[in-house]
Amino acid sequence: MAKSRGFDIRHQRGFTPIALLCFVLLYMPIIILVVYSFNAGQSIAIWEGFSLRWYQAAWENEQVQDATIRSLVVAGAASFIATSAAVLAALATTRTPPYRGSTFVFAMINQPLMVPEIVTAVALLIFFAMIKVATGYTGLWYLILAHSAFCIPFAYMPIRARLQGMDLSLEQAGADLYGTPWRVFRKITLPQLWPGVLAGAMLAFVISLDDVVITEFVKSAGQDTLPTYMLGQLRRVITPEVNAISTVLLAISVILVMAFFVLSRSKK
Amino acid sequence: MIEVTNVTKTFGSGADAFTALKEVSVTIRQNEFFTLLGPSGCGKTTLLRTIAGFIDPTSGSLSLEGRDILGDPPYLRPVNTVFQNYALFPHMTVAQNVGFGLEMLDKPRSEVQATVREMLELVKMTQLADRQTSEISGGQQQRVALARALAPKPKVLLLDEPLSALDFKLRKEMQIELKRLQSETGITFVFVTHDQEEALTMSDRIAVMNEGRILQIGGPRDIYDHPAERFVADFIGDTNFVEGTIRAIDGEAAEVELPSGKTVASRRQEGGPQAGAVTIAVRPEHATLQAGEGLLSGTLSNIVYFGTDTHYHITLDDGHAFVIRRQNQPDARESYAVGDAVGVSFAPGVAQVLRD
Ligand SMILES: Nc1ncnc2c1ncn2[C@@H]1O[C@H](COP(=O)(O)OP(=O)(O)OP(=O)(O)O)[C@@H](O)[C@H]1O
Ligand SMILES: [Mg+2]
Repeated sequence: MAKSRGFDIRHQRGFTPIALLCFVLLYMPIIILVVYSFNAGQSIAIWEGFSLRWYQAAWENEQVQDATIRSLVVAGAASFIATSAAVLAALATTRTPPYRGSTFVFAMINQPLMVPEIVTAVALLIFFAMIKVATGYTGLWYLILAHSAFCIPFAYMPIRARLQGMDLSLEQAGADLYGTPWRVFRKITLPQLWPGVLAGAMLAFVISLDDVVITEFVKSAGQDTLPTYMLGQLRRVITPEVNAISTVLLAISVILVMAFFVLSRSKK
Repeated sequence: MIEVTNVTKTFGSGADAFTALKEVSVTIRQNEFFTLLGPSGCGKTTLLRTIAGFIDPTSGSLSLEGRDILGDPPYLRPVNTVFQNYALFPHMTVAQNVGFGLEMLDKPRSEVQATVREMLELVKMTQLADRQTSEISGGQQQRVALARALAPKPKVLLLDEPLSALDFKLRKEMQIELKRLQSETGITFVFVTHDQEEALTMSDRIAVMNEGRILQIGGPRDIYDHPAERFVADFIGDTNFVEGTIRAIDGEAAEVELPSGKTVASRRQEGGPQAGAVTIAVRPEHATLQAGEGLLSGTLSNIVYFGTDTHYHITLDDGHAFVIRRQNQPDARESYAVGDAVGVSFAPGVAQVLRD
């Protein structure tokens, strides 16, 4: 192989140790967490042998069951709503002729990424409190709507990327062949958009599943999701049960994120 | 019949404004093979897309069979397009692609299937009906694109350089096939190309475009033999340009005085120059070479043998170059040599007075 003459950061002195250190710092704590989820003892710091008892404990814990179901319901519903809205938003920002204020609209769609989460959380707390007073409704929809809102930009990004990568002449060919805009969308745009839609939905799902701050502020009493339940536990006794729950959450997230990458890479 | 009247299209606005079509008017007849010919960027695609409905002209009007269609979206216009890049639907098979238009028109399934079969037969793609469009060659994709556009039996078929991606041999085959399809289906074809030979061999009529304008419309022979403008004469085939002065005109005839002082009967276009200094065009194969005096005289500077013909490069007495092309005969000996003093002549009516 010819010697590369350009600047290659990998050949700078000290690069390899620094890179290794970064990876260790990033992943060591997670590895430790996973390892101690299999601890036979009570401690999250003293290893006493291998066992699955904390997984069993978590599995049989009614509060955990309850929180898990709530997490899945909220994440599922929020990801569905956010993805639907994101598809419309992506169409409106890629399939219309340039118009005044399109940059502003783009910024507004991505706004939840810029505004500090705590600000959104407080704002939603106050806003929903007003609605609660007015309507008396205290159900799960507050959480679902709040999650939908901050998931939209995450669902929007892969869908928009996919739309931008699509050949516009295909849709024009559809219109040329007597397809009305709606039928062209259904028969031509959507079938090719699917990987982007799925990727967006999965990303939104993971983001929702993972949220603590907004959930903590918005939830009514007894509406714990897995992350807020764990946060509550940490204030009391910490047992490897928390590690076990975290490990399962981690596994779900890793699987979904991997699927996301596979989908957003597939060209066809 | 398509009537394009005074269509202007300006992209952008302010300082970035670019006018791609300037007051374009053309009437395309029923069942005609009509070609838009011009260099890259002259506005051919823009005009085609305006007819298809993907571009709204800035001003002007457009009618199909006497009905104004400017307000109609693309899906309401009985016009189909063969796109430059084919634009086949990648998630459908060959047969599904061909049937798409009919399905959008809500034709009954049996009719869709029958027409798809008929169309695939027409373009000789029956064998590959169930292939994915990514699994067929470029030439085959082109035929599928053609079949897909023909299947709904449009009144007009628009073809945007459909042959430009094909290799030479396939291109020749497809040219013949396109002509055959056009005469068999009786559909009006509006064909875009920047290849003058393709335009001359296939078209009933040609519109030569440059910089957003249509410069001349006419049959291939008309355009070739009687170019109206310097650009047209130059763009299509090879031409000699000679400066001269109009001495008299009578309708399409003009007496033009050549630099040699002799006059020659030339042809002029209606609305062309009436007097004064003009440029005339003479095709290399329309002029004859002779020893001694001619209409113009000069010295042979080069002789190039091409097999089918021979090109004689002459330096005229006024310094301009002139080329004569002569068909080679069997056993003919070359009777001229470089450095000979020669005369150049052309028959009355051959030289064309250009408008420029
Ligand atoms: N959407 C657009 N915005 C701005 N300018 C455009 C747009 N579409 C075309 N143009 C310009 O208009 C001119 C004509 O374009 P057009 O595509 O009609 O050329 P063409 O004759 O088809 O050329 P080619 O043979 O290269 O396909 C070009 O200079 C092009 O840059
Ligand atoms: Mg073009």
